[in-house]
Amino acid sequence: MSSPDRNPRKSEPWIDRRTTIATGGLAAAGLIAAPYARGSLTRPSPVFLAGGQRYEGDIAGTLRDGLLATDLNPETLRGKRVLLKPNLVEPSRRVPHMTTHPAVIVAAAEVFRGWGASVVVGEAPGHVRDTETALIESGVGEALDDGGLDFADLNYEQVDSLRNRGRHSPLKEIFFPRSVLQADLVVSMPKMKTHHWVGVTCGMKNLYGALPGIKYGWPKNVLHHNGIPQTVADINATLPRVITIVDGIECMEGDGPILGTMKPMGLLAVGADVPAVDATIARIMGLDPKRIAYLRLAAPRLGQIEDRHIEQRGDGWRALHSPFHILDEPHLQQLRAADGQLVT
Amino acid sequence: MATTEATVQERRHAAARGQESPGGPQRSTATEPGLAARLAAITPGGYRAGAPPASEPTAWAVLALLGAGDWMAARRGCDWLAETQAGDGAVGVRRRQPAPAWPTALALLAWEAYHRATGENRYHPRIEHALAWTLKTRGRTVERKPQIGHDTTLVGWSWANNTHSWLEPTSLFVKALTANGLGAHARTAEATRLLIDRLLPGGGANYGNTRVLQQYLLPHVQPTGLVMWALADQEVEDPRIEASLAYLAREIEQPLGSASIAYALIGLAAHGRLPKSAATLTAAALARRATVGSTYKLALLNLARQQAQNA
Repeated sequence: MSSPDRNPRKSEPWIDRRTTIATGGLAAAGLIAAPYARGSLTRPSPVFLAGGQRYEGDIAGTLRDGLLATDLNPETLRGKRVLLKPNLVEPSRRVPHMTTHPAVIVAAAEVFRGWGASVVVGEAPGHVRDTETALIESGVGEALDDGGLDFADLNYEQVDSLRNRGRHSPLKEIFFPRSVLQADLVVSMPKMKTHHWVGVTCGMKNLYGALPGIKYGWPKNVLHHNGIPQTVADINATLPRVITIVDGIECMEGDGPILGTMKPMGLLAVGADVPAVDATIARIMGLDPKRIAYLRLAAPRLGQIEDRHIEQRGDGWRALHSPFHILDEPHLQQLRAADGQLVT
Repeated sequence: MATTEATVQERRHAAARGQESPGGPQRSTATEPGLAARLAAITPGGYRAGAPPASEPTAWAVLALLGAGDWMAARRGCDWLAETQAGDGAVGVRRRQPAPAWPTALALLAWEAYHRATGENRYHPRIEHALAWTLKTRGRTVERKPQIGHDTTLVGWSWANNTHSWLEPTSLFVKALTANGLGAHARTAEATRLLIDRLLPGGGANYGNTRVLQQYLLPHVQPTGLVMWALADQEVEDPRIEASLAYLAREIEQPLGSASIAYALIGLAAHGRLPKSAATLTAAALARRATVGSTYKLALLNLARQQAQNA
């Protein structure tokens, strides 16, 4: 459902100097408004939240509002290549809340197409080699057919490497499929989920699925052995021109990212500062972003995670706060905000 | 494990004399000329229409073409694999992508099947070199932890260098070693134990995790089919094998991708459990848009149909 009544603030866009690394690629490509890219040391990153959303509602309208509210410049998208990267890590028709809902993907495609971009949906499922089955199990294949959308199987495409700009892990270079490298804009479209190793999986962690299985395996064990937080931060530091749209309508809590239980949240989140969006999602889940290892590595170089450095547009996160159940494991419990308090 | 070249060769030749190849179909199949010709026209080939050749699709195509009796096209695929083999004996995923090299297992199966089908031992040095690489390549082990259900100390084969052993590459290398006369080798035996260890209690397998943080994971058709195919050659008994075959028989009637259908049928056929719906399922998969022009999918479905016709 669209949220015209939310009146997203149209404050002058800007960016912290340190976040230039993350959003510099977007600005250089003219995809976010120029004033945003010029930088400021004093003003926060915008994150758009919309509650009360349903898969049957006007998701496209809400996403359009969110993208405009977070300073995406639609005029610059005409003729550009946009890659939508949903989360289809291990789709199962028995666990539909594991994967990005087809309605959100199709709605995002509608918005970007409406702005004159050419849209491809691409994914490299992390746990299954048969991508065709992943598309069937998730319902995404049928939705893409109905919407006349092309799909890029990122697991098997030809690859090229980029120098690892994060240098948190020992990896010297990171291999990406050509569809990812050739895109003018990559839209990370995660499902809002807990993660049984790193606490939360959202826009940043979802980019594991932008890397090719044919290089990294199924699962992408090369990344695991080099440190999950470190490689998440490295991928995000290396891949330019990424924004995120989060499917938080039906989420996963508990034993995510595969076997957790469904938690309805009715939420959509949008932002060009991916760590800022992830940090906001963590706060809504009752987790402390500064205790999430990859967010700690990402900030402030790749984006903001301090609440005071993030400007909420649309709904504020405090009104949406609803702690997610996490497994009773020490490495996860320590991520919780103390006594269920809001994490500011 | 020290295995001399001579021993490898001796065992392989013994296998060639006395055993039916698990790697390539030996019986004369009721071939489908149109289907085989379509495959021959795109061999060597890639994962999807128009994609550059890759080792895995090309090796599967060789096996399917040999089953269809098209030795010339099969030889073209074998030659491509031979030219892709690196100096250390490994065959990378693509000619310009020498790592990772898990398709070495499939190249071994293709070259061995060509030898068996034609009597031409033209790839003998290639096979010996690839076997030596295979036997010195080991999946990474880690200490056992209570959070992880499987035995992390067992050695199989990994997707990428210096990472943990997973089910699909381990299945392919077990199959390749067995086809090349090394079914009794210690590495094959340990890897076979790994395959059994990674089966889920209720049947089926996924990429290779069983229980993580107290919860059993979901099975998937493709790895289950491959594991069943590999285990069919081994003298092992475990109730999870029957449960896995039952899982495949159930799941193959559900909507699936072409590759999963093919792997399920290949796995079921190896245990004499091909469903009556096999021909119908493969025919429907062959008609899909995603199959057209894909050497990978066309080869797998060709093989699955050959299994159905031979049953």
